[in-house]
Formats: sequence, structure tokens, C-alpha cells
Amino acid sequence: MKKFDPRTRIIIVFLISSAALMIRQLAPLLSLLLLTLILCKLFSIPLLGSIKKLKKLWYFFFVLALVQSIFTSGGETLVSIGSFRLLTTLGLQSGISIITRMSIIIYSALIIASAPPLEIVYGLIAMKLPYEIAFMVLLAMKFLPLIKEEFSDSIIAVQLAGADLDKIPMKRKLSLYTYILTPSVIKALHRARYISLSMECRGFRAYPSRTNYCKLKMKRADYMAMLATAVCLLIITV
Amino acid sequence: MSFYTIDSLTFSFAKECKLFQNISIEIEENQHIGLIGPNGCGKTTLVKLMLGILKAKEGAIYLEGKNINDISLSKVGKTVGYVFQNPDKQLFCPTVWEQMNFSYKFGGNADQGGINDKIHYYLEVFDLMKYRDSSPLELSRGEKQRLALASVLARDVKFLILDEPTTGLDILRKKQLEKCLMTLKEEGKGYMIISHEGKFLTSFVDKLLTLGPKGVESN
Ligand SMILES: Nc1ncnc2c1ncn2[C@@H]1O[C@H](COP(=O)(O)OP(=O)(O)O)[C@@H](O)[C@H]1O
Ligand SMILES: [Mg+2]
Repeated sequence: MKKFDPRTRIIIVFLISSAALMIRQLAPLLSLLLLTLILCKLFSIPLLGSIKKLKKLWYFFFVLALVQSIFTSGGETLVSIGSFRLLTTLGLQSGISIITRMSIIIYSALIIASAPPLEIVYGLIAMKLPYEIAFMVLLAMKFLPLIKEEFSDSIIAVQLAGADLDKIPMKRKLSLYTYILTPSVIKALHRARYISLSMECRGFRAYPSRTNYCKLKMKRADYMAMLATAVCLLIITV
Repeated sequence: MSFYTIDSLTFSFAKECKLFQNISIEIEENQHIGLIGPNGCGKTTLVKLMLGILKAKEGAIYLEGKNINDISLSKVGKTVGYVFQNPDKQLFCPTVWEQMNFSYKFGGNADQGGINDKIHYYLEVFDLMKYRDSSPLELSRGEKQRLALASVLARDVKFLILDEPTTGLDILRKKQLEKCLMTLKEEGKGYMIISHEGKFLTSFVDKLLTLGPKGVESN
């Protein structure tokens, strides 16, 4: 597998997600989804694995689509209770397009997320983004998993201290969760503060620009991939 | 039937390289075990498996005759007290006192008498009384370690696992820990200590195990 330049990934994802937001009709959206999936394969992202990992998210989108389909009326009636039109062709269409649009955005985001985060930062810097902001993006991406990690560690500690989370009543459980959420956030903040301290110790923001070992170079494959994506997008939208 | 039975346990984080293979250990309820091994040989990982935090792929671990995978984490926690290697992972309450009181408040046996005295006693032993209303996260490394020890010692469990308990303790506090271990011995309670301090270990354990990639050796 050839290694693509991080800038290629960023540009492709930018193109695809803006197209996903602009396209209104269902048919082009579906072809855009197909294009995204092909690109994911090209960047060697396991499709089935990511579906499983994001199970809860899909569930949420499914509910969203269902609500959308029920509350959009117009077109022919498909299902009705009495005189109330539950599902219409137009509603179904908007439901499907929501799911499709979300899938496109998530899968295209995976193209960035599957690259090493530092590489993306170098890509952003090479695209003339100030390096402070580029590193801030990196830290923001890392911060949420940090809270999650601290929280799940606390949950283990809570259980080992003898609290049975399956048995205690819901109300007590909620109070327990809020009880340990605060220290988890504090711990995550502590760690974030240490990261920023050690970054400053290495001269972060001491000079307006920053050099690094990693030299990015666009290869022919990168240009080809970008060009192919742009052409496909044109064909789909027109 | 032994208290803990570890039966030909093999574990690896990554598929290719096995952390350890074919571990088999029998531990009695009133036994005092020491576990040693170089950094990164998997001592903490073995303990996490013994508590059911991690799941073994090959081999099995039995606690009082029951497979550890069939017991909930809280049940294990009521039987076995565990002092984490990293006290930051263990302390989650807003104040020191609540941390000490947590197992009684949320563990079910709150109506037991003499709890406050017990907590008082261990806070005094580890010299933490002055911090009773401050946050555990604001303590120094050694104080966190002392709080982690105190909160586990104050609980009523059958067996204790201490993962490098002496890290960060000064001489005085190490003496206090030794006193607590003596008390546990007198009460007939068992424990397992992971440590790098040979002198500390030899005087407090009956059996010393060395963990290596091919299994455990007793010496
Ligand atoms: N969650 C994890 N994922 C992958 N590797 C891990 C994880 N936790 C520990 N390891 C690795 O397993 C090895 C053993 O770790 P550990 O059991 O903590 O060693 P120690 O004997 O010093 O307590 C180390 O090489 C460590 O890098
Ligand atoms: Mg360890």
C-alpha cells in the first residue's frame, strides 16, 4: 500500500463532506457514498470493523432518520393509521438521505482519523495553518478520549471498591456517576495541563515558526487520487 | 480447594508476542506471597487478570472455586482488596474521607458498627487525618499511595493484593505499612505483594514467585 500525503487526505475529506452537505437529491448522494466507500478501501480502512465500533452512533442515526421520515409529509402515502399518514414516499426519501449523508461524513472522517494524528498536524501546517492552531486541533482530538479513559478507569476502581453497578437503583447510580465524573474531568485536565507545560518546555510558541524532521512531499499518487476524486464529484453533481 | 487457582494461563496484548505462558499458581487464603520480576514482565497484567479486569484468552483463573469470568467485578472487589500500582487510578472520590468511606456507603454493608473508628484508625496510622476534607487529587505522590493503602486496609476483605506498595513511601511510612502487614498476618489474612525490594519482601512473605515469559518459578 502506498503511503499518501496527509494533505491528500485532508483535501479529499474536505471535498467529499462539502459535497455531502450541498447535494440534495438522493441518487447522487448514494453514488457519493459509494465513492466514499471506495476511497476508504483505497486508504485501507476496514469497513465492517468501523461499523461495529460505531454501533451506538448508527443506532442514533437510525432513530433520527425514523423521526425525520415520520414528520416529513408529501408524496404518496405508504403507511397510514386511520386518516393519519405515517409514512410517505417523501418522508422515506428524506430519512434515507439523512442516513446516507451521515454515513458519508463519518466514513470520510475516518480517512483523516486513520492517519497518525501528528502527520495530520504536519499536513495542516504545510497548508499554511499557524502551527499553534494545528497543534490545538491535535490536542482537542486527544482530549475527549482522555476523559473517557479516566472515566472508565474510575468505573473499574468503583466496582473493585465493592459497588455493584448492576444492582444499585437507578437514582443512586446516577448520583454515583456524577460523583466520579468530576474527579475524572479534573484528572484529564491535570494531564492536559502537563502536556501543555511540557510543550512549552520544548519551546512551543517561542518562535513564530517551527521546524520539524518530517518533510512532506506530494507524490504522483497523491495528485492522481485528488484529481480522481474531484472528477468523480463533478460527474456525480452534474 | 485453594483460594486462588491459576491454571495454565497464557496472555498477550498483541497477537504475535506472548507476555507470559503457562502460568499455574495455587494460593491459599492465609498465604503470604511475594511476586517479583523485571519491569514490564507482566506482573500488573497478571494481577489485572486475577481480578477479572482483563480477560484471559487461554487458561483460566478460579477464585474460591468459581471462574473469575463468571464473577462480577464488585463481587471480586468484596473478596479481594487491590492496591493499584498507580494510585491516581484508584482514587476517585471528592474528599479523602469519602474515599475511605466509599466501600461502606456504596458496597452494601453500611449498618456495620465501628466503621468511623476503623477509618479514623487507618487515617491516623498513615498520617492523613489532616487531609480528611481535601481532594485526593491534590495530595503528593507518596500521600496518594498512603491513602490508596489505607482505603483498602480499612475494608473487610479476605485477601489483599498490593502492587508495588512501597513506591513513594518514606522510611517512617514503610514501617507503618510493615506494621499493618504484621497485623494482617496475625489476623490470619493472606496477601500478595509485588515489589522490587528484596529485604522488604523476604521478611513478610512465606513464598516468593518469580514471573518470567515461560511461567513462574518459586524460590
Ligand atoms: N493496555 C495495554 N496495552 C498494550 N500493552 C500493554 C498494556 N498494558 C501493559 N502493556 C504492556 O505489557 C507489559 C507488561 O506490563 P505490566 O504488567 O504493567 O508490567 P509490570 O511487570 O512492570 O507490572 C509492558 O511491556 C507493557 O508495555
Ligand atoms: Mg506493574
